[in-house]
Amino acid sequence: MSFLFASFLKDLSRWRQDPMAVLLWLGIPFVIGGLITAMVDGGDGASPTGVLLIHDQDDSLLSGLIAGAYSQGQLGELISVEQVTLEEGTERINAGEASGFLVIPDGFSASFLEEKPVTLTLKTNPAQTILPGIIQDVTEILLDLGFYAQVLFGPEIKQIQNADSDIVPDDVFAADIAVQIQGKVDTISPHLFPPAFDVEIVAPPPAEPRPDIALLFLPGIVMMALLFAAQGLSADYWKERETGTLRRLVSTPGLLSRFVYGKALAAAVIIGLLGGVTLTLGFLYHGLAWSKFMPSLIWLTVSGVGLFAWFAALQMLFPTSKAANLLTTILLFPLLMMGGSFFPLDALPDWIAAIGRISPNGFVVDRLTTELTSATAWSFDLRSWAILVSMTVVGLGLCTWRLKTGFARR
Amino acid sequence: MLTVEHLVKQYGDFTAVDNVSFKASKGAVFGLLGPNGAGKSTTINCISGLMPPTSGHISIAGADVVKDGKRAKRSLGIVPQELALYEDLPAIGNLRYWGKAYGLRGSELDDRVREVLDHVGLADRAKDLPKTFSGGMKRRLNFGCGIVHRPTVLLLDEPTVGVDPQSRQRLFEMVEAERDAGACVLYTTHYMEEAERLCDSLAIIDHGKLIAQGTVAELKSQLSARDVLQLNGEFPATETAQLIETLSSGGMHDLELISQEEGVLTLTLSSASQHLPQIFAAITSMGGSVSETSLRSPNLETLFLLLTGKELRE
Repeated sequence: MSFLFASFLKDLSRWRQDPMAVLLWLGIPFVIGGLITAMVDGGDGASPTGVLLIHDQDDSLLSGLIAGAYSQGQLGELISVEQVTLEEGTERINAGEASGFLVIPDGFSASFLEEKPVTLTLKTNPAQTILPGIIQDVTEILLDLGFYAQVLFGPEIKQIQNADSDIVPDDVFAADIAVQIQGKVDTISPHLFPPAFDVEIVAPPPAEPRPDIALLFLPGIVMMALLFAAQGLSADYWKERETGTLRRLVSTPGLLSRFVYGKALAAAVIIGLLGGVTLTLGFLYHGLAWSKFMPSLIWLTVSGVGLFAWFAALQMLFPTSKAANLLTTILLFPLLMMGGSFFPLDALPDWIAAIGRISPNGFVVDRLTTELTSATAWSFDLRSWAILVSMTVVGLGLCTWRLKTGFARR
Repeated sequence: MLTVEHLVKQYGDFTAVDNVSFKASKGAVFGLLGPNGAGKSTTINCISGLMPPTSGHISIAGADVVKDGKRAKRSLGIVPQELALYEDLPAIGNLRYWGKAYGLRGSELDDRVREVLDHVGLADRAKDLPKTFSGGMKRRLNFGCGIVHRPTVLLLDEPTVGVDPQSRQRLFEMVEAERDAGACVLYTTHYMEEAERLCDSLAIIDHGKLIAQGTVAELKSQLSARDVLQLNGEFPATETAQLIETLSSGGMHDLELISQEEGVLTLTLSSASQHLPQIFAAITSMGGSVSETSLRSPNLETLFLLLTGKELRE
């Protein structure tokens, strides 16, 4: 046991001499994670707004109503209306500074009331896709509404139009118009209210509240730090071999298994430190329940040691350190991609996600995601823990076996 | 203290060590001499447990290396040819780690580490990293790691390769100190002058076989005080036997042909310098010529040449 502890202290002391490596393992995922979180959370959440330029040559009540319709209700949150001259409007729409430019011609109101053809000109910005379409649709709807209003209330509108605009209409005039309109409404209302069809609104079953999308990235980002660390730490077996210390070790009575476990313990401290820092920041950022912190940290640390052991065992199968390092580096990126470190597993195509969930890191990320996004306390799923611990023990066993079967003797 | 009996190590059809036997005693330095590839390192590797012997028996302080490896290793210290240090662990950290690997604990470990640091002259650099040390300092620390647990048998595998003269001298002193403290030292080298200076007894190994064994004095006596004469030039191959016979009958009774290769003739005889004119005349009369002459007085190097017909450092 004392030699195990000596091996642990020896490696810890050696890694203390190389803080840059530890900072890099921490830094790379932070940079990538920060970018991803910024992209996902991005900006202040305001919806994009478009500008509709209107040149009203008619300057009538009706044209004013049309111009004002774009600023009403939710439409007003999307579209900002500006009155412009013909020259300014033409210049700005050509420069792409607006979503649309509407020209209401002189005589529009008179033509409308007299049921004569009239043309409204709407120029849209081809560089935009959604907002010009909305403006076009709204314009068409307004014209349809105008058509039906004219069919129904044409005489009344004409009466209002013909009234002297400088004099406030008297009560008799207003009441007469109101009675006429009300009469027509009473006539058509049986056809409009209620509508001739029933709408049954089926409420969807209450869904679980969807977690914050940025939170889905957290387990993968933390795992990215641990994967980098596990891969980097595993190269130490080759370093020890190249410095001759492994050969020297074989000629001592110190047990190779204790050497392996001492090394794993040192790796656990470094991995735990990395996991602790990344998790703390993640918990603070997402406001997660701190009761889940320790289980998350233990889960990640054990998995990190397991990955370290498997990387090391794999590296020791290769004839040169370059080949070994190349292999694990090549292996690292598919693992990161499929295991939910670059994209959450839920966002991956089903078949990739299925592979990812059975990859070592994907298994860990999947379980951690489930726990962190769940509203309930950490569930100590015995099966998952058994798989994780078994994977780690087998990895460490493979390392010992490889040392004994020749790796340490060369 | 260290017994090697009928050691054989084979790699497939190749026999790297062929039936090697020797004994090394307490308080003495035993040299294992031979050119590169002779089988010295393979022998050392078998003794240190790095590779299992194909057959034979090795015991260290009475413990069988194969059957009772842990006990045997406890008595064994190794100073490998290549440095085997943690460059990113302070000197004291290296010594403590290797001390613990050999089972030292507590105050015994602390005291011994202090002693060794003094012994190898690194007490004032104890907390520094070996990567900041000179080559000689690293060699001394490498040596210290091999003796930190006070081994009864110490293996030194070509410890002076690539070492400057000053550090080499310091290393010799440290080896002698271990010997004087009662350790059995097995020292491999291909430098004969080192062997002559340090070794109480030695064995010469070539092509995996021991070709001579004994004290330095015993081995030198095999030369019968004869010089080794190496001639470079042109020698008619068919006439060489005639040449030797002519010279022997002309008063050089102990003349012996060691080897004849393309353009190189190696002979041994006593007082060779006095017979040079006769030898040159005989060669010329046979139609040959001499372009270069090398005359060496008897030492271990010439013994190796005598035994194997080739230079030790070839």
